[in-house]
Amino acid sequence: MSTTQTAPPTTLTPPDTPRTRGTLLRAVRLTGVRPLAVITSIGLGTLALGCAVALGATSAWLIARASQMPPVVALSLAATAVRAFGLGRGVMRYLERLASHSTALSGMTNLRTTVYARLAEGTPEAVLRVRRGDLLARVGADVDEVGFLVVRALIPLGVAVTLGVGTCIAMAVLWLPAGIALAGCLLVAGWLAPTLTAVSVRRAEQRAAAARARMNAVALGMLDDAGPMTVAGRTPVEVARLETADADIARAVDRSAAPAALAAGLGLLAQAAAVVVALVTGIPAVEQGRLAPTMLAVVVLTPLAAFEATQVLPAAAVQLQRSRAAAARILALLDSAQPTGAEPAPLDFDQRVAVAEADDERLGDLIAELSEDDQAEILRALGPDRAATFLDGDGLAPTDRLRQAAARPGPVVRPLRATALACGWTGRDPVVTEVDLDLEVGRTVAVAGPSGAGKTTLLLTLAGLLPVRGGRLRLGDHDLDTLDRGDIVRSVVATTEDAHVFGTTVLENLRVARGDVEDAEARRVLDDVGLGPWLAALPDGLDTLLGPDARTVSGGERRRLLLARALLAPAPLLLVDEPGEHLDPASADRIITDLLTPRPDRGVLVVTHRISPLGAADEVLWIEHGRVAARGKHTALLTDVPGYAAAAQRERVEEERSEEGGR
Amino acid sequence: MKPLDPRLLTYARAARGYLALTVATGLVTAGLVIAQAVLLGRVLGQVVVAAGSVDAGIAPDPLPLAAVTSAIVWLVVVMVVRAVSTTVQERFAHRAATNAVNELRERLVTHGARLGPRWLASGEGPALVTLATRGLDNLEPYFVRYLPQLVLAATLTPLTWVVVLSYDWFSAVLVAVAVPLIPVFMILVGRMTEGRSARQLTVMKRLGTQMLDLVAGLPTLRTFGRQAGPATRVRQLGDTHRRATLSTLKIAFLSGMVLELLATFGVALVAVFIGFKLRDGGTDLVTALTVLILAPEVFGPLRQVGTQFHASTDGVAAAESAFKVLDTPLPPSGTTPCPDLRTATVALTGVGVRSTGGWTPDGLDLTLAPGRVTALVGPSGTGKSTTVEVVLGLLHPDRGGVAVRTASDQDPTTQGLDLANLDLRSYWDQIAWLPQRPFLEPGTLQALLGHPDPADRDRAATLTGLDTVVADLPDGWDTELGRGGTGLSVGQRQRVALTRALLAPAPLVVLDEPTAHLDAHGESVVLDTVAALRAAGSAVLLVAHRASLVATADDVVTVTARPQTADETDAPAAVRQGLA
Repeated sequence: MSTTQTAPPTTLTPPDTPRTRGTLLRAVRLTGVRPLAVITSIGLGTLALGCAVALGATSAWLIARASQMPPVVALSLAATAVRAFGLGRGVMRYLERLASHSTALSGMTNLRTTVYARLAEGTPEAVLRVRRGDLLARVGADVDEVGFLVVRALIPLGVAVTLGVGTCIAMAVLWLPAGIALAGCLLVAGWLAPTLTAVSVRRAEQRAAAARARMNAVALGMLDDAGPMTVAGRTPVEVARLETADADIARAVDRSAAPAALAAGLGLLAQAAAVVVALVTGIPAVEQGRLAPTMLAVVVLTPLAAFEATQVLPAAAVQLQRSRAAAARILALLDSAQPTGAEPAPLDFDQRVAVAEADDERLGDLIAELSEDDQAEILRALGPDRAATFLDGDGLAPTDRLRQAAARPGPVVRPLRATALACGWTGRDPVVTEVDLDLEVGRTVAVAGPSGAGKTTLLLTLAGLLPVRGGRLRLGDHDLDTLDRGDIVRSVVATTEDAHVFGTTVLENLRVARGDVEDAEARRVLDDVGLGPWLAALPDGLDTLLGPDARTVSGGERRRLLLARALLAPAPLLLVDEPGEHLDPASADRIITDLLTPRPDRGVLVVTHRISPLGAADEVLWIEHGRVAARGKHTALLTDVPGYAAAAQRERVEEERSEEGGR
Repeated sequence: MKPLDPRLLTYARAARGYLALTVATGLVTAGLVIAQAVLLGRVLGQVVVAAGSVDAGIAPDPLPLAAVTSAIVWLVVVMVVRAVSTTVQERFAHRAATNAVNELRERLVTHGARLGPRWLASGEGPALVTLATRGLDNLEPYFVRYLPQLVLAATLTPLTWVVVLSYDWFSAVLVAVAVPLIPVFMILVGRMTEGRSARQLTVMKRLGTQMLDLVAGLPTLRTFGRQAGPATRVRQLGDTHRRATLSTLKIAFLSGMVLELLATFGVALVAVFIGFKLRDGGTDLVTALTVLILAPEVFGPLRQVGTQFHASTDGVAAAESAFKVLDTPLPPSGTTPCPDLRTATVALTGVGVRSTGGWTPDGLDLTLAPGRVTALVGPSGTGKSTTVEVVLGLLHPDRGGVAVRTASDQDPTTQGLDLANLDLRSYWDQIAWLPQRPFLEPGTLQALLGHPDPADRDRAATLTGLDTVVADLPDGWDTELGRGGTGLSVGQRQRVALTRALLAPAPLVVLDEPTAHLDAHGESVVLDTVAALRAAGSAVLLVAHRASLVATADDVVTVTARPQTADETDAPAAVRQGLA
């Protein structure tokens, strides 16, 4: 089989995927696949292939018996059975395929929902850390890979074992040596051959990994830089490099192919051995009258049909490997979201989902059984209207906490105060330290500095999305770390530069910030951020569908849309990352100035590398070399801080030039 | 796709030898399968008949085992040879598959590169990388699993059928009726379900996309604290997806069931028929057993082809896409050698390139002469980079043309040599092009610059500011750079490229926004470099944004675009309608 199963994209294969035992078991548990469903499929599959074996055995008996010219009645039962087995195999196989795929698909849905829920509930850092492509690959392809385990590995294996044991016992009853020989040969075909195949695939993947990476790089380079390479006359050299890399892959695959080839031959050899042993031991037995001649035909010909179940096992072994690797990647992601290592039972979430989907009466009963934490979360998820009916009902003790959760998750006005704050990603050195910062309604703060100074990291920390690495961060009377996310977002939200635009309508995209945004409100905010003309040009206005990840939206429009969404968030404190990116300087300045103009009901912090429009901010923090190098009003910084003034100067000169050049 | 696309053999020569080997092993296998059936039928038949005669007390056979010993030995030999033949086939299948995939990949990448940057950026272009690096690997199951079975279906199936025919004509007729029914029913089921599964496939894809969209947006939802609600939505989408998939599968598996039913029931019918014929004395046991053993072998390859085809559809689809790219004709290249650009001029007259928004550029005239610096200016989106591609011969303009005029032929009334008729290699050899994102081949910095004389090198490096870059590098001039100059910033790479252009001044130098990634100091470096190139007699084409750069130019050409006019938009539409 070798590289039949292509390795997933290199970014997804950690070089040292932990091959810890139990990985697969843990992942399979998370799929919530019920053993009964698997057993049913195995049963159907065994019946299907059992029909094939029985067909072989019965027709062998039928013919052997017919040669003795018995009365027709003696053959009629066998004849009917042969026809029935002939039909049964196709039908049973059809049912088995449907049952196993249904099981696998619901397992994939469960696993996907669980992964999603864990990521949604776990530490925010885990999600922010993963590149979007990897996240999609894990929740998409990797989950599928674990699901395929059921269809392509577990069930074929179960069928092979059940059928093998059944056939061997039946054979042993007819003629013991034949039964024993068959058992041994099935073991060779069903265990040794798949193991060899798996070894082949693993070796080929390991040996070819380096060459494959080189091949990828060269191919990518040739297509990325096609023009320059062609003009520079470099193409033949690159083609030669591609050929070298390809040849290395071929060599690696070729060197690893031997066990797989051997495995293919072994399967046939095992079958041959079973037939020959039955024949050689059976003939003397017939001679001596210990075995009926008709039964000799059965024990010799049955092995010809009995090896079908083991034929698919090499592929199953390969699937097992792939599923294990996928499971390891998924679990690594989940574990990073669950630093405590405690694994809540998957039922928790399923229960909650069942609750949300159930009818109100059942819902009341179910809620009553849950812990207060879960009750609060469900009430919050239900929304104020539906939640109110349960609070007034008799199933719940309406504590303050539940009342609060049931109420509209309205804004809470609290100041955000950082003292000697250190920010950074877990496992790396903090990139910014010693930050003192105050943000409250009616006040605006700008954080400026060269790219790579750690401004975004600071913003993520202030929003509670990264853990505090030092110093203190207080929201009102509490340390931000001690509050839950549902609570934090009622006071402070952040919008990041790479925020997602969903493949839904404009309005629904805005409702991500707050579920009850009305048309008029949406129009007003879009107008505020300069998207009025854009909205007017859309075919269905607010109901226009945006493509997945908004490919139909330009960079500047996307920026403004994200800003509009941020402005609609109920939280009074707003942290905005680079609102001027992808906009021309004049528009960028206008938007940043608007944001920084203080309003009595909002506190705004803007992170930007543009300096010109910062005059409106109450305070500017100039970040350089990982700390606040200077702070104060824009005008004061311009006169007092040479670095700041120089940056502002550069910005101005560049603009003038680009205006002239562009003319 | 046809069961075996002949283009696969055209484009992947490795597949030809493999196909020959597979046909050979297929024929050998067919012979061995038949021999095995005949031997097994004879041994079993003789033993059972002999034992039966003993029972009936008719003609006692003294030594059944001894009588069949040589047949059993032959049986063992046949079975072992069959296993060996399968091993050999499998052994070479992997090699052939890898070689064929590699060959296709090399052709695909080379062809894609020759189709040029514009083709790569549009239509199927961007998908080409994925196709070449990962998509083609899906062909392996096609080669290793599907093709051998297809060959067996063409060898084993008819040969065994002929043998069955020679033993018992009516069984052969039964098989002959069932075998053609397999493709007939599969096509019928396919036709019946085609529309429905296509619709369901669309639904499945949409649901899958929506689900992944929610996942991709998870970080965003988290920042707003609204991640809890969509979990339910993920489950709902998953459930809907599962139901949609299952109802598709219900239909898709039908064709598999038809295949299994016909194949197995065919065998069952043969068994019952031959059994009763035997009972009536119409045939002998050896014949009956041989037919019984051979019947499943007739159907076997057909069943396998059906099963393996599903597993190899991804590979087949990848091959189809690859053929589509490979069948895209390459832009024609002339054969006339290019004149010496140190004395010749390159002239664009009335050049227009059609784009989605209209004409970018539109009606552009431009002359590049030795020792002169020409600046291309104009707002973004008017076609400055397109003009560069036209000058480089990477893009053939839709209107106007590019001509090279030799020193002796400067009469403006003559056409000069059309670039389309020139051997582009001889043209490119005289050009140095610095794109916005400079491309540097891997190697040491020294090698990259062509191992220049240190004195020349240092002089050039001082001018371009590369000396300060090198001072910070761990191994100085011997620093290894990765592909694209990994380890250097874009600005630093630009300095490397400028230095290279200076060290061996090409007759024509094209600089696309050379100051884009440079600060004020870097900019003066570019100005000095341009001046030095002009002094060396090069013709320089500059795509410029900054005023300082424009000021150094001898000629300034403003690129203008023209939006598509109504009649232009209508014309192709009318043509399309006419074609439809």
